[in-house]
Amino acid sequence: MMTAPLIELRDVSKDYRGVYAVRNVNFTLNKGEIHALLGENGAGKSTLTKMIAGVTQPSQGQILLDGKPVSFQRPAEALHNGIAMVFQETSLVPSMTVAQNLYLGDEKLFNRLRGLYIAAQQFLSSLNFNVDPWANVSTLGAAQKQLVEIARAVRQKSRVIIFDEPTATLTPEEKHYFFSLVDRLRKDGVSIVFISHALEEALAISDRITILRDGELVASDVTSKFDRDGIIRAMVGRSLSNELYGRKRSDADARPPGPKVLSVENLSMGSMVRNTSFSIYAGQVTGLFGLIGSGRTETAKIIAGVIKRNIFHGGELRFGERSVRYREPRPAMRDGIVYVTEDRKAEGFFETMSIAENIQMGLIASGLQSSSVVTQGEAREVTAEWSKLLQIRAINPNARIVELSGGNQQKVVIAKSLVQKPKLVIFDEPTRGVDVGAIAEIHKVIQDLADSGLAVMVISSYLPEIMVLSDRILVYRMGRVVEEFTPGRATEEKIMYAAVH
Amino acid sequence: MSFLKRTYDSIFGAGEAAVTVPPLDGALLPNDALDQAELVTAAAAADNLVRDGERCFFSSGAELFRLDLMDGVTPAGRFDAPISALSADGKGTLAIGLSGKGLVVRGGKHEGRRLSGLPEADAACITAITFDGPDKLFLAVGSSRNRPEDWARDLMERNHLGSVWQVDLATGAARRIADKLGWPAGLLVRKGAGLVVSEAWRHRLIALDDKGRHTVLLDNLPAYPSRLQAGEGGFWLSLFAPRRQLIEFVLREPAFRRKMLKEIDPAHWMAPALSSGKSFLEPLQGGSVKQLGVLKPWAPSRSYGLLVRLNEAFLPEASFHSRADGTRHGITSSLSIGGRVLVTSKGGGAVLSIAADDNRREVA
Repeated sequence: MMTAPLIELRDVSKDYRGVYAVRNVNFTLNKGEIHALLGENGAGKSTLTKMIAGVTQPSQGQILLDGKPVSFQRPAEALHNGIAMVFQETSLVPSMTVAQNLYLGDEKLFNRLRGLYIAAQQFLSSLNFNVDPWANVSTLGAAQKQLVEIARAVRQKSRVIIFDEPTATLTPEEKHYFFSLVDRLRKDGVSIVFISHALEEALAISDRITILRDGELVASDVTSKFDRDGIIRAMVGRSLSNELYGRKRSDADARPPGPKVLSVENLSMGSMVRNTSFSIYAGQVTGLFGLIGSGRTETAKIIAGVIKRNIFHGGELRFGERSVRYREPRPAMRDGIVYVTEDRKAEGFFETMSIAENIQMGLIASGLQSSSVVTQGEAREVTAEWSKLLQIRAINPNARIVELSGGNQQKVVIAKSLVQKPKLVIFDEPTRGVDVGAIAEIHKVIQDLADSGLAVMVISSYLPEIMVLSDRILVYRMGRVVEEFTPGRATEEKIMYAAVH
Repeated sequence: MSFLKRTYDSIFGAGEAAVTVPPLDGALLPNDALDQAELVTAAAAADNLVRDGERCFFSSGAELFRLDLMDGVTPAGRFDAPISALSADGKGTLAIGLSGKGLVVRGGKHEGRRLSGLPEADAACITAITFDGPDKLFLAVGSSRNRPEDWARDLMERNHLGSVWQVDLATGAARRIADKLGWPAGLLVRKGAGLVVSEAWRHRLIALDDKGRHTVLLDNLPAYPSRLQAGEGGFWLSLFAPRRQLIEFVLREPAFRRKMLKEIDPAHWMAPALSSGKSFLEPLQGGSVKQLGVLKPWAPSRSYGLLVRLNEAFLPEASFHSRADGTRHGITSSLSIGGRVLVTSKGGGAVLSIAADDNRREVA
């Protein structure tokens, strides 16, 4: 007998100022099933699940819980109805301990911490999660934070738990515990939505698989109907009507390499970067593709001196003719290496300062300002120049960065880096959270930099972006470069295959 | 200061003590172009191709062969020692370096010229010769301690005893223009721009001026460079053996090396080679182990085949490879004729022919 689905989404759409993140999706979740949700970054998986969990509301369409239409305005409301979500970016309070985070919101008037810690300890051991309940969350690594986040969702005894990429940061052992936990939950009748990049995991544990692409549902069926090749094809086989990414480059389009600017040899850092070797050439865009957590960002940060490689046998970095080892970003920047961060809110700018102040800050940091006295005039001059070059649009020039749109924020971050007159520019996810118009302009800037003879490295987990920008494509997996493609040889399937195998 | 730096580096595995090898990427992306290349002729230890006007020659051990693309190969002489280097002036004169003997000039007006000023130990190890006009030539001497066939020993001894000489054939006088080089193995005269030398043990190409001062043209090669040849719009560089992490590591362990040189059969040294995989006694680097009877093409073998096309600025623009699963290893020289390039694989015992403008970046 076919039971009514626990949750049903009917023709649900979500748009942000006319740009659809999710469009006309029908989705059902049955009681006691594991439903895997797959798709590339930006395919709309997170948006879809956030609507179920009440984080955002659909623009159109209907959500039904137990056959009755519901409209959650807040996550707490969804939680009250038994829907919990484990977020990709963890939502823990960093200054509190693990136990306090686990029981956050459920405290009695007089909160007895001793009892709380004992309960947390017992609970975490019952899940086989090796996390110290006394530890401050800010001291935990990404994987442990994820475990606390999972434990918190499980503790609520929800009917539905949504996991957004729960395994990306976990070790194999922790994954094993996680999967046995998921299995236990299923036996108890909990329904699980499971978002993942790891196709093997999805195939192994899920009952049904739904694949999204560009916000639309492309396939949804029981797991036995899928194999990994089919999934990859469904994930990447987008219609090429999108003109931004429509152009397929051939080998003839690729810029010829200039001198070798950077040679990375056997670079290692912890378990994130493992003996990676590659080169970057001047006058070219080198695209670095890899799934989240494959160590691309860490490699770039080592190059730019933001983080340090292993102290013993950490490998060699040769920039130009010299072997270099940066312990902080400043000397790297003075040598001409700039890193345009992927997390602009945290690392990219001073959000309460104006555009001019931010750009001038980049100039001052590099020591290229015209005099030792900081003047408003110079700030205005530099800002006018770069605003024109990058087409930064703001209501007024004194607008604080936090008031700008994502695209303009990103352009300010780029301008702030480029005023430093670099020789090697590393763009990390340059168009994440950026609207379509700004993407085209940022791509233009990247291409112009390479045309002017600079070495440019672009890190992206969005395949079409890599394909349309790169003169060489490097694929990252498990902390190292595993494959190199020329634009003519690369297809989305081949790159994806290299990135997941 | 340098002592402190060395100590620091050896503790932390940085700088000189970092056992790293540059990656084969970009223009050096591996392919199997040499294994797909057309076989012109098989000849054990085929070495040093030269062109003398309309005629082509190559050496093979102590024998000299004439190569004709239409008529095939005909013997052109036999010497009492292995030929280590060849050069032709294009008008019938051949300069021949003989291992342990010295320079012999055959044909032309300088036939039988003997050299003065070149010490015997240096003359025994001529690795490359090139003519600079009809009466002048340059000699590269690999080492003043070892013979050309003992190059692996020279590397393992970490010698930098190579030199480059200028010889006036009219008088036979030889003048040293550079010394303390790490096995110079290739020479190229650029018209009006001086001499280019490939310095194998320092894995680089340098330009020498008249006074012996050098500037680096191309550094940090992933293999040991050998002979250089001018082609249309660029240069061809042969690289005879690969750099490997295991070997880089051995090169930083003097005690181990001394013991190895004393006690182990040279064929089984942990050293680069012109060909490998013939005996189970050969040392392996992790990754070269056969699994289920299959040797992966990317395995870090002791020998490799690599020919690189350089542009006019001496930057690599294309490359031709024979990887661990191939046999055409130990590339020692090349010669561009028309639209094709002839290549000698000393390790694979073959003379090969490839299309010069091949799109070699495709791995079939």
